[in-house]
Amino acid sequence: MENHGLFGLDWIVYLWRLFHLGIDLIKYQDENMKKFAVLSAVFAVLCLGITGCGPADQSGGGDGAGEKKPLFAFVTNMPASFWVIAQKGVEKAAADLNVDYKVDMPTGGSVGQKRVLEDHLARGVNGIAVSVIDPANQLDILNQVASRSILITHDADAPDSDRKVYIGMDNYIAGRMCGKLVKEALPNGGKVMIYVGRIEQDNGRRRRQGVIDELLDRTEDAMRFDPPEASLSGNGYEILGTLTDQGDPVRAKANAEDTLTRHPDINCMVGLFAYNPPAIVEALAQAGKLNEVKVVAFDEDDISLQGIVDGTIHGTVVQNPYMYGYKSIEVLNAIYKGDTSVIPESKFIDIPARSIRKDNVQEFWDDLKTKTMEPESSEG
Amino acid sequence: MKKIYGILSIFIVVCVLTAMMSPSFATPFNIERLILRTSLYGIISIGVAFVIITSGIDLSIGSVICLIGCGLPWLLIKMSLPLPVGLLIVILASVVIGLLHGLLVTKLRLQPFVVTLCGLLMYRGITRGFTGDQTQGFGKLFEGLRWIGTGRIAVPGVPLETFGLPVPFFLLLFVTIVASIFLNRTIYGRYLLALGRNEQAARYSGINTDLMIILAYVICAGLAGVGGVLFILDTNSAQPADFGNFYELYAIAAAVLGGCSLRGGQGTIIGVVIGAALMQVLRNMITLVDWIPTHIEYAVIGAVILVGVMADEVVKRVAAARRAKVSKS
Repeated sequence: MENHGLFGLDWIVYLWRLFHLGIDLIKYQDENMKKFAVLSAVFAVLCLGITGCGPADQSGGGDGAGEKKPLFAFVTNMPASFWVIAQKGVEKAAADLNVDYKVDMPTGGSVGQKRVLEDHLARGVNGIAVSVIDPANQLDILNQVASRSILITHDADAPDSDRKVYIGMDNYIAGRMCGKLVKEALPNGGKVMIYVGRIEQDNGRRRRQGVIDELLDRTEDAMRFDPPEASLSGNGYEILGTLTDQGDPVRAKANAEDTLTRHPDINCMVGLFAYNPPAIVEALAQAGKLNEVKVVAFDEDDISLQGIVDGTIHGTVVQNPYMYGYKSIEVLNAIYKGDTSVIPESKFIDIPARSIRKDNVQEFWDDLKTKTMEPESSEG
Repeated sequence: MKKIYGILSIFIVVCVLTAMMSPSFATPFNIERLILRTSLYGIISIGVAFVIITSGIDLSIGSVICLIGCGLPWLLIKMSLPLPVGLLIVILASVVIGLLHGLLVTKLRLQPFVVTLCGLLMYRGITRGFTGDQTQGFGKLFEGLRWIGTGRIAVPGVPLETFGLPVPFFLLLFVTIVASIFLNRTIYGRYLLALGRNEQAARYSGINTDLMIILAYVICAGLAGVGGVLFILDTNSAQPADFGNFYELYAIAAAVLGGCSLRGGQGTIIGVVIGAALMQVLRNMITLVDWIPTHIEYAVIGAVILVGVMADEVVKRVAAARRAKVSKS
């Protein structure tokens, strides 16, 4: 599929000579200063030769292979199975629209994300879709992307940046949907603990606030913020607190275990990032408390869906990562081609969330499987 | 010069290979970003090189970066302290941390690994505590201060839009020159190298080894603090739980690649800077080159470092054998 022109034989020969020259250099460095100097010069020229010709040769090969497709980057906030589903959507859209893509799941928080975004700018991508980690403080790099390429956000927005459009859902509304599932699971109230990867991340914060506000029957206000250690109660529900794990599933499980130790009388555990519910289920299974403590999930990890089938998880609220990926590439490609009609007035393309319970889980899962299998079989 | 041959040739080979595989590598924007990253990581790597030369180790660098990097915006924004006070506090904090490490290692004779490992845990924990795990950043404020991290200085003859030397690069230059002179041209630098080889011998020959070791830890923590400030000024966003995670390992790897022996007594500052640059080029390569999947990043970095250290060892032995032969004949 891709062009690896550099693996032509002449390069290998060239490098081999370079290598030998290098060895000679080491040999002569002590014995003969004159030879050493001459060889050093040759070595430097050869190296420069490679840097000079290399890129030209590569792009030449690329041009020969066919017309240049636009290249779009899809950047996430961390590596996760959730993003693997989105990647399938990206792949499908790229195949449908005949464009190139690169999916990047950086580690290391906003520092890692900044590095990856810069690298994509360096390679001259035609557009970038990014799930923003820190909307308030990442404005510099986001606007740099917007000024040098096309910037859209997906999954987590940065409304103050120069992004063209946000593709995702309203995480606060989805959080309230999740809160409704908790109410179904615990109709008579009870003690609830919330688990989330990062509370400082916009989607995590809004989702969590949605759950809390729904349980406490508050009015809709996505901007409200209760501190993570706050213990809130009302309406028969007691929210013991919120535990974060910074995207580390191992710590997510430890958080769930610690809760079981500290609050043996807990009634419901709510996991808001894709890997949280599997971590909770695992902790419950090891403590022998499955079915004893209700679990409400978020996202569509296989283990979460299996839990709903088995009855160990009451239900989950699912986003549509597949469509995040697909739509991102579709919108980037349209904007790239000059079609701005894809951008709505609100600059928000809604991919709504859905509640999945035991009655509709199988149907949803089967659909997900066909979607995620499809691009693989067509890739061939 | 001889000592940096191995690392320099690996660096050139990696650069050349990357340039061959990706036409974007040798673009002005990419080079500029690489210089910036090398400057940030280079400064902390030089710091740890001093400790490694005394045959110590500092594992707390990443957490010091976290403490200082999150602490500065916290002091300035959340606590609304004036800028000079904020800067003074973070500088003092990093120096005190270094002093603490040095005193524990020399006076209490604790192992550097243990002392700094506890530091690694403590400073991050403290940071997460006082920030309440909230993301720290300057938002749109302190544009002037942030220039130190984000500013670019035009090179004569090149428009600034195309290429500018990042301001941290000049800091790296300054630190490199001062550190090189200190290590190679002052008596104290020679003391450091000597005590790294054999502390007892150095002490018996009248060197105040304790003082020199404490100094090395202060330099290390101090430069880590400078790094922390630069990182936050550049990124403007720090999550206390993962800001600076693993940076000590990047710094140590750069120092080792640059010719520092973990047994102490050896090292060149230029080599360390090249080592830091190599690490950044490797990460850059993984994003730029299409057929390298990005999630195997660490595997590639690990493998190249291993090959680099192996090659360096082989080259050293070949050179030593040749020298022996020459001197015999």
